Amino acid sequence: MKRKLEDAPMNMTPMIDVVFQLIIFFITAIDMQRRDLDLQLKLAMAPHGKPVTTRNPLTIYVDVDQQGRISIGGVRMTTDYLYVVLRKAVNEFGQRNVPVVIRGDMKTSHEDIRKVMDACSRAGLFTVLFAAIQEKA
Amino acid sequence: MARKRKKPTELPAELPLTPMIDVVFQLLIYFIVTIKPIDIFAHLEVSRPSPEDRKERAEIPNLIRVNIFKEGYTFNDRPVTTTELERLLSRAASLDKTQHLLIMASSASEHSQLIAVLDLCAKYELTKLSVISTN
Repeated sequence: MKRKLEDAPMNMTPMIDVVFQLIIFFITAIDMQRRDLDLQLKLAMAPHGKPVTTRNPLTIYVDVDQQGRISIGGVRMTTDYLYVVLRKAVNEFGQRNVPVVIRGDMKTSHEDIRKVMDACSRAGLFTVLFAAIQEKA
Repeated sequence: MARKRKKPTELPAELPLTPMIDVVFQLLIYFIVTIKPIDIFAHLEVSRPSPEDRKERAEIPNLIRVNIFKEGYTFNDRPVTTTELERLLSRAASLDKTQHLLIMASSASEHSQLIAVLDLCAKYELTKLSVISTN
Protein backbone atom coordinates (compact mmCIF):
# COMPACT_ATOMS: atom_id res chain seq x y z
CA MET A 1 0.00 0.00 0.00
CA LYS A 2 1.48 3.26 -1.09
CA ARG A 3 0.59 6.40 0.75
CA LYS A 4 0.21 9.49 -1.26
CA LEU A 5 2.34 12.33 -0.07
CA GLU A 6 -0.41 14.94 -0.21
CA ASP A 7 -2.46 13.05 2.29
CA ALA A 8 -0.14 13.77 5.17
CA PRO A 9 -1.46 16.89 6.88
CA MET A 10 1.16 19.31 8.13
CA ASN A 11 1.46 19.62 11.86
CA MET A 12 0.87 23.30 12.53
CA THR A 13 1.34 23.39 16.28
CA PRO A 14 5.17 23.55 16.51
CA MET A 15 5.28 26.09 13.71
CA ILE A 16 2.87 28.37 15.52
CA ASP A 17 4.89 27.93 18.70
CA VAL A 18 8.03 29.07 16.94
CA VAL A 19 6.28 32.04 15.34
CA PHE A 20 5.06 33.20 18.74
CA GLN A 21 8.51 32.85 20.20
CA LEU A 22 9.91 35.00 17.41
CA ILE A 23 7.23 37.65 17.84
CA ILE A 24 7.88 37.88 21.56
CA PHE A 25 11.63 38.03 21.02
CA PHE A 26 11.41 40.91 18.57
CA ILE A 27 8.92 42.89 20.61
CA THR A 28 11.08 42.70 23.72
CA ALA A 29 14.25 43.48 21.75
CA ILE A 30 12.67 46.65 20.32
CA ASP A 31 11.59 47.64 23.80
CA MET A 32 15.13 47.26 25.12
CA GLN A 33 16.48 49.55 22.44
CA ARG A 34 14.38 52.44 23.61
CA ARG A 35 15.01 51.68 27.25
CA ASP A 36 18.51 53.13 26.89
CA LEU A 37 17.13 56.53 27.78
CA ASP A 38 17.22 56.84 31.51
CA LEU A 39 13.58 57.22 32.38
CA GLN A 40 14.40 59.29 35.45
CA LEU A 41 15.55 62.16 33.28
CA LYS A 42 13.04 64.86 32.44
CA LEU A 43 14.30 66.63 29.37
CA ALA A 44 13.37 70.21 28.60
CA MET A 45 11.04 71.01 25.74
CA ALA A 46 12.36 72.46 22.49
CA PRO A 47 9.39 72.60 20.12
CA HIS A 48 11.38 74.36 17.39
CA GLY A 49 14.40 72.10 17.40
CA LYS A 50 15.19 69.82 14.51
CA PRO A 51 13.71 66.40 15.22
CA VAL A 52 16.13 63.52 15.34
CA THR A 53 15.49 61.05 12.56
CA THR A 54 18.71 59.21 12.00
CA ARG A 55 20.83 57.46 14.54
CA ASN A 56 24.58 57.59 14.28
CA PRO A 57 25.97 54.50 15.99
CA LEU A 58 29.05 56.44 17.11
CA THR A 59 26.99 58.93 19.10
CA ILE A 60 27.88 59.10 22.76
CA TYR A 61 24.94 59.95 24.98
CA VAL A 62 26.03 61.53 28.23
CA ASP A 63 23.25 61.68 30.81
CA VAL A 64 23.33 64.26 33.58
CA ASP A 65 20.68 63.92 36.23
CA GLN A 66 19.20 66.52 38.54
CA GLN A 67 21.94 66.05 41.12
CA GLY A 68 24.62 66.43 38.47
CA ARG A 69 25.62 62.79 38.35
CA ILE A 70 27.13 61.83 35.02
CA SER A 71 26.44 58.51 33.36
CA ILE A 72 26.71 56.86 29.97
CA GLY A 73 24.30 54.04 29.31
CA GLY A 74 23.47 53.80 33.00
CA VAL A 75 27.11 53.61 34.09
CA ARG A 76 27.90 56.30 36.61
CA MET A 77 31.25 58.00 36.13
CA THR A 78 33.41 60.90 37.21
CA THR A 79 34.44 63.72 34.88
CA ASP A 80 37.94 62.28 34.65
CA TYR A 81 36.61 58.94 33.56
CA LEU A 82 34.28 60.65 31.08
CA TYR A 83 37.30 62.43 29.67
CA VAL A 84 39.08 59.09 29.22
CA VAL A 85 36.07 57.64 27.43
CA LEU A 86 35.75 60.64 25.10
CA ARG A 87 39.48 60.76 24.46
CA LYS A 88 39.48 57.12 23.46
CA ALA A 89 36.57 57.68 21.06
CA VAL A 90 38.35 60.70 19.55
CA ASN A 91 41.57 58.72 19.10
CA GLU A 92 39.72 55.91 17.45
CA PHE A 93 37.33 57.74 15.14
CA GLY A 94 38.65 61.29 14.83
CA GLN A 95 37.47 64.60 16.22
CA ARG A 96 34.83 65.30 13.64
CA ASN A 97 33.19 61.91 13.75
CA VAL A 98 32.19 61.61 17.37
CA PRO A 99 28.87 63.30 18.06
CA VAL A 100 28.30 63.90 21.75
CA VAL A 101 24.75 64.36 22.93
CA ILE A 102 24.30 65.76 26.41
CA ARG A 103 21.01 64.71 27.93
CA GLY A 104 20.58 66.92 30.92
CA ASP A 105 17.59 66.99 33.20
CA MET A 106 15.76 70.30 32.91
CA LYS A 107 16.45 71.07 36.56
CA THR A 108 20.16 70.36 36.37
CA SER A 109 22.25 73.37 37.20
CA HIS A 110 24.46 74.64 34.41
CA GLU A 111 27.50 74.04 36.59
CA ASP A 112 27.12 70.28 36.11
CA ILE A 113 26.50 70.59 32.37
CA ARG A 114 29.61 72.71 32.21
CA LYS A 115 31.71 69.90 33.67
CA VAL A 116 30.58 67.64 30.84
CA MET A 117 31.26 70.32 28.23
CA ASP A 118 34.70 70.94 29.72
CA ALA A 119 35.50 67.24 29.48
CA CYS A 120 34.40 67.37 25.82
CA SER A 121 36.64 70.35 25.08
CA ARG A 122 39.57 68.70 26.83
CA ALA A 123 39.07 65.65 24.65
CA GLY A 124 39.05 67.87 21.57
CA LEU A 125 35.32 67.86 20.92
CA PHE A 126 34.24 71.43 20.35
CA THR A 127 30.76 70.73 19.11
CA VAL A 128 28.19 69.24 21.40
CA LEU A 129 24.50 68.56 21.04
CA PHE A 130 21.89 69.08 23.70
CA ALA A 131 18.99 66.69 23.76
CA ALA A 132 15.50 68.04 24.25
CA ILE A 133 12.01 66.85 23.57
CA GLN A 134 10.61 68.22 20.36
CA GLU A 135 7.18 66.73 20.71
CA LYS A 136 5.71 64.81 23.57
CA ALA A 137 4.05 61.60 22.49
CA MET B 1 -15.84 -11.52 14.31
CA ALA B 2 -16.20 -7.99 13.26
CA ARG B 3 -12.90 -6.29 13.04
CA LYS B 4 -13.05 -2.58 12.89
CA ARG B 5 -9.71 -1.15 12.11
CA LYS B 6 -9.02 2.49 12.19
CA LYS B 7 -6.86 3.76 9.48
CA PRO B 8 -3.65 4.93 11.06
CA THR B 9 -3.17 7.73 8.55
CA GLU B 10 -6.25 9.57 9.69
CA LEU B 11 -5.39 12.58 11.78
CA PRO B 12 -7.85 15.09 13.24
CA ALA B 13 -9.16 16.94 10.28
CA GLU B 14 -8.81 20.51 11.53
CA LEU B 15 -6.61 22.35 13.93
CA PRO B 16 -8.66 23.74 16.81
CA LEU B 17 -8.48 27.47 16.19
CA THR B 18 -10.37 28.77 19.19
CA PRO B 19 -7.63 28.49 21.86
CA MET B 20 -5.08 29.91 19.45
CA ILE B 21 -7.20 32.96 18.78
CA ASP B 22 -7.71 33.35 22.52
CA VAL B 23 -3.97 33.41 23.08
CA VAL B 24 -3.39 35.83 20.22
CA PHE B 25 -5.95 38.21 21.67
CA GLN B 26 -4.35 37.97 25.08
CA LEU B 27 -0.98 38.84 23.61
CA LEU B 28 -2.44 41.69 21.58
CA ILE B 29 -4.15 43.19 24.61
CA TYR B 30 -1.00 42.80 26.69
CA PHE B 31 1.15 44.68 24.19
CA ILE B 32 -1.41 47.39 23.52
CA VAL B 33 -1.63 48.07 27.24
CA THR B 34 2.10 48.04 27.91
CA ILE B 35 3.40 49.91 24.88
CA LYS B 36 4.19 53.55 25.56
CA PRO B 37 4.60 55.90 22.64
CA ILE B 38 8.06 57.46 22.53
CA ASP B 39 8.70 61.18 22.53
CA ILE B 40 10.29 62.81 19.53
CA PHE B 41 13.69 64.14 20.43
CA ALA B 42 15.50 67.17 19.14
CA HIS B 43 19.22 67.75 19.19
CA LEU B 44 20.39 71.34 19.50
CA GLU B 45 23.87 71.81 18.19
CA VAL B 46 26.23 74.34 19.71
CA SER B 47 29.93 74.92 19.51
CA ARG B 48 32.04 75.19 22.57
CA PRO B 49 34.96 77.47 21.83
CA SER B 50 38.16 76.52 23.54
CA PRO B 51 39.71 79.12 25.86
CA GLU B 52 42.47 79.75 23.30
CA ASP B 53 39.89 81.18 20.92
CA ARG B 54 39.26 84.13 23.16
CA LYS B 55 41.29 86.48 21.03
CA GLU B 56 39.60 85.30 17.90
CA ARG B 57 36.21 85.83 19.47
CA ALA B 58 36.89 89.47 20.18
CA GLU B 59 37.46 90.03 16.50
CA ILE B 60 34.04 88.90 15.37
CA PRO B 61 32.05 92.03 14.65
CA ASN B 62 28.49 92.51 15.90
CA LEU B 63 28.71 89.60 18.25
CA ILE B 64 25.48 89.23 20.15
CA ARG B 65 25.94 88.27 23.76
CA VAL B 66 23.11 86.55 25.56
CA ASN B 67 23.64 85.98 29.24
CA ILE B 68 21.66 83.44 31.17
CA PHE B 69 21.28 84.01 34.88
CA LYS B 70 19.13 82.14 37.30
CA GLU B 71 16.92 85.22 37.52
CA GLY B 72 16.60 85.84 33.80
CA TYR B 73 18.32 86.82 30.59
CA THR B 74 20.33 89.75 29.35
CA PHE B 75 20.77 90.67 25.70
CA ASN B 76 24.02 92.56 25.09
CA ASP B 77 24.17 93.27 28.83
CA ARG B 78 20.63 94.66 28.95
CA PRO B 79 18.16 92.71 31.09
CA VAL B 80 15.30 91.39 29.00
CA THR B 81 12.24 89.23 29.50
CA THR B 82 11.71 86.05 27.51
CA THR B 83 9.33 87.73 25.06
CA GLU B 84 11.72 90.63 24.56
CA LEU B 85 14.57 88.20 23.98
CA GLU B 86 12.50 86.40 21.39
CA ARG B 87 11.68 89.66 19.63
CA LEU B 88 15.33 90.76 19.61
CA LEU B 89 16.49 87.39 18.30
CA SER B 90 13.90 87.40 15.55
CA ARG B 91 15.02 90.88 14.53
CA ALA B 92 18.65 89.82 14.54
CA ALA B 93 17.79 86.76 12.46
CA SER B 94 15.81 88.81 9.95
CA LEU B 95 18.92 90.93 9.36
CA ASP B 96 21.46 88.15 9.18
CA LYS B 97 21.02 84.46 9.83
CA THR B 98 24.75 83.90 10.01
CA GLN B 99 24.94 86.24 12.96
CA HIS B 100 27.27 84.92 15.66
CA LEU B 101 25.70 84.44 19.04
CA LEU B 102 27.62 84.01 22.23
CA ILE B 103 25.51 82.44 24.91
CA MET B 104 26.98 82.81 28.35
CA ALA B 105 25.33 80.65 30.94
CA SER B 106 26.05 81.26 34.60
CA SER B 107 26.78 78.28 36.81
CA ALA B 108 23.66 78.77 38.87
CA SER B 109 21.29 78.84 35.91
CA GLU B 110 19.14 75.84 35.11
CA HIS B 111 19.74 73.68 32.07
CA SER B 112 16.17 74.28 30.90
CA GLN B 113 16.95 78.00 30.52
CA LEU B 114 19.84 77.22 28.19
CA ILE B 115 17.61 74.88 26.20
CA ALA B 116 14.95 77.60 26.01
CA VAL B 117 17.43 80.06 24.48
CA LEU B 118 18.78 77.43 22.08
CA ASP B 119 15.21 76.62 21.11
CA LEU B 120 14.54 80.26 20.26
CA CYS B 121 17.71 80.30 18.16
CA ALA B 122 16.55 77.17 16.37
CA LYS B 123 13.17 78.80 15.77
CA TYR B 124 14.77 81.76 13.99
CA GLU B 125 17.39 79.54 12.32
CA LEU B 126 20.36 81.14 13.98
CA THR B 127 23.06 78.50 13.75
CA LYS B 128 26.32 80.17 14.71
CA LEU B 129 26.00 79.53 18.40
CA SER B 130 28.71 79.32 20.99
CA VAL B 131 28.07 78.44 24.58
CA ILE B 132 30.44 79.40 27.32
CA SER B 133 30.06 79.13 31.04
CA THR B 134 30.52 81.95 33.50
CA ASN B 135 30.54 82.07 37.25
